[in-house]
Amino acid sequence: MAGTTVSGGSRATLEPPEPRDPSLHSRPRPLRVRLRPWLLLAAPLVVIGALLIYPIVRVAYLSFHRYGLKEVISGHPVFTGLDNYREVLGGSYLWKTVLPNTVVFAAFAVVGTIVLGTLVALLLQRVGPAVRAAIIASALLAWALPAVTGTYVWVWIFDPDSGVVRKMLQGVGLLGPEGFNWFTERLSFYAIATLNVIHHGYPFIAITIFAGLTTVPAELHEAAKIDGANAWQRFWQITVPMMRPVFAVVTILSTIWDFKVFAQVYLMPGGSGSNPDVFNLGVWSYVESINRNQYGLGASIAVLLTLVLLVITVVYLRALFREDEIS
Amino acid sequence: MRFSNKAGVAVLAAASMLLAGCGDDGSPSAGSTGGGGDSSLTWWVMKGTNPDASAFYAEAKKQFKKETGATLKVQEIQWADAHDKLVRAFAGGEGPDVSEIGTTWTPEFAAAGGLTDLTDKINDSGVSKDLIPALKDSATYNGKMYGVGWYAGTRAIVYRTDIFKKDGLQPPTSWAQLQSLVDTLHKKEPKMLPFPVAGGSSYGAAPFIWGAGGDFATKDGDQWKGALDSPQAQEGLTYYTNLALKHHSSSTGAATWLETDLLDSFTKGKSVMVIQGNWTPGTVAEQNPELKGKIGAFAIPGKDGGMAPAFLGGSNLAVLKTSEKQDLAWKFVKMMTTGTLSKKWAEQTNFFPSTQTQLKKFAESPDPLVAPFAKVMLNAGKNVPSAPQWGAVEGDKTVSQMLQSILTGTSVADATKKASDAITKTLNSGS
Repeated sequence: MAGTTVSGGSRATLEPPEPRDPSLHSRPRPLRVRLRPWLLLAAPLVVIGALLIYPIVRVAYLSFHRYGLKEVISGHPVFTGLDNYREVLGGSYLWKTVLPNTVVFAAFAVVGTIVLGTLVALLLQRVGPAVRAAIIASALLAWALPAVTGTYVWVWIFDPDSGVVRKMLQGVGLLGPEGFNWFTERLSFYAIATLNVIHHGYPFIAITIFAGLTTVPAELHEAAKIDGANAWQRFWQITVPMMRPVFAVVTILSTIWDFKVFAQVYLMPGGSGSNPDVFNLGVWSYVESINRNQYGLGASIAVLLTLVLLVITVVYLRALFREDEIS
Repeated sequence: MRFSNKAGVAVLAAASMLLAGCGDDGSPSAGSTGGGGDSSLTWWVMKGTNPDASAFYAEAKKQFKKETGATLKVQEIQWADAHDKLVRAFAGGEGPDVSEIGTTWTPEFAAAGGLTDLTDKINDSGVSKDLIPALKDSATYNGKMYGVGWYAGTRAIVYRTDIFKKDGLQPPTSWAQLQSLVDTLHKKEPKMLPFPVAGGSSYGAAPFIWGAGGDFATKDGDQWKGALDSPQAQEGLTYYTNLALKHHSSSTGAATWLETDLLDSFTKGKSVMVIQGNWTPGTVAEQNPELKGKIGAFAIPGKDGGMAPAFLGGSNLAVLKTSEKQDLAWKFVKMMTTGTLSKKWAEQTNFFPSTQTQLKKFAESPDPLVAPFAKVMLNAGKNVPSAPQWGAVEGDKTVSQMLQSILTGTSVADATKKASDAITKTLNSGS
């Protein structure tokens, strides 16, 4: 689902601006030439069609049907109209638990990832090549770590009985002898998940932004320096405006990734079902469809997740283009 | 069989995959309709508890050939994927003729129309007379039988005999004794957990719900009703969770533990007593040789003595409706569930056989980690409500949700009411 939005989003922002030379548009090109890109794209399009378009259509179809074990065996989903959506949207569970979990968590994770990524990128620009290599290597290690492994490491760090954090907090007297089970409270649960996701996500952002920073001409900074601008002013007046497309890409990508976080929540204690207070949209959809065999209901949740992502992406892209037009 | 959590099964499956390496043999390729006529039969068997069963398969193939002249094709399925694969097999018709099916899944698949009604064949052959009653229940849906018990297991308390000896303690025979035992251990062994209560182990709580006279759900006519908010179930749950909340039997973290975490804690020497299935204690001494000879087991006591009923989980062998070789399939089911092959499989997998005659031999075993479990299974084994939607209750983790919320401060009354309502809703839906 997200894959299409990913490519759509990044293409829209990465593509060089349309050539403004009118002569290119006045004369129709021969059919052979116009077909050429599509011929070149044919193979990947077939693969994408099979792997992405078909599942999307199927999920959308199932979301309007009752599709439990009985229907799987008989091979006939029962059309139920909007019943699944009514059930998902009707109760307070979506509005009070799942949606806030998804949205608030994603907001914190995206902001956290981008701030940390930017800071690391700026640091990379400052330090010498040896230190830079060391920082990049350690950051890439965090990035290369599979989400499953990373999650288990964080769970281990915050283990309520013998984790490093408990020992540390008890050492300085901030935690009683009984300890505290971080995984049972929604807030502390998501604080850990946010740390996990930021730690896992920042290296990509840092390296992308670092690559972007190298394209900002040094003369601009020198000129600003001569004019008396300090580092803070130069960052906001020169770096940020020049880097807007890069920030746009990493923000959209992070938003999509952090909205559909699954493993990092599912694998934490309580996240796989025994604590419904901490479900996000992805986990809820999985539990309803795979664990409870209500594939139709699960499909409707997945459709909602996709729609929410589409809305966010579209709103963000429009805001971005409007700013571009102004400048 | 579906033990209390999917993760545990997955871990077990992963572990056995590692043990077995990549040497996968004895499982030729797919297709139940290969070959001509009745010459071959495809059988799905779950992998995850037995590192290498190829010798057993070879023997089964030989015997099957001898008895029927047909070839047996064995395909191993990982427990973690089994439910999904079976659903797909039902949907696509590309499944096996016979499959091992977890006891808690059997009513679900039977109700959905995936399994063959074997009632007449089972009754005519006399197979059912010797079957352990809880296993027979598990394969029964609407009065008809859809499978034959193949092997099973149950839970009891695994404990440290060396610590009991050191402190002069005896296995408890009532709930009052268990509670004072916990109090004593809390005082005498301050570095260990007396009896951790895992929030994610619903089958650890079952003996206390049943032991006080409660149940998960009751059936009235054709309507199911969640029963965890009955006074009896509440009493049992209050007792069980108070061991953790008031008697220091457990740790803060155990509220989110799974059954595998209990085993882990015990293996590391951090717990004195844990509720475990009979197929696990064997691995404790393997992983921590220091504990060799220091482990015993006793039945979870009943409230006022005797044994509390314990969940009896296991596997049935069932014939798929899509199979074109119904008679041959039945012959195979009969061969596997009676006679020596059944006993051999149980021994190799650390599970118990499904017939009372065979199980009695295990109850007389001198092994301190075998006999207590076998006695529980003979005398106090009990099945979950035989409702087609029970699998969905397990998938939803309704019981674990309730346990975890009680262990983190919700009142027993509120938590059981919520769980009961959820069970009522789930069991009566989707049919």
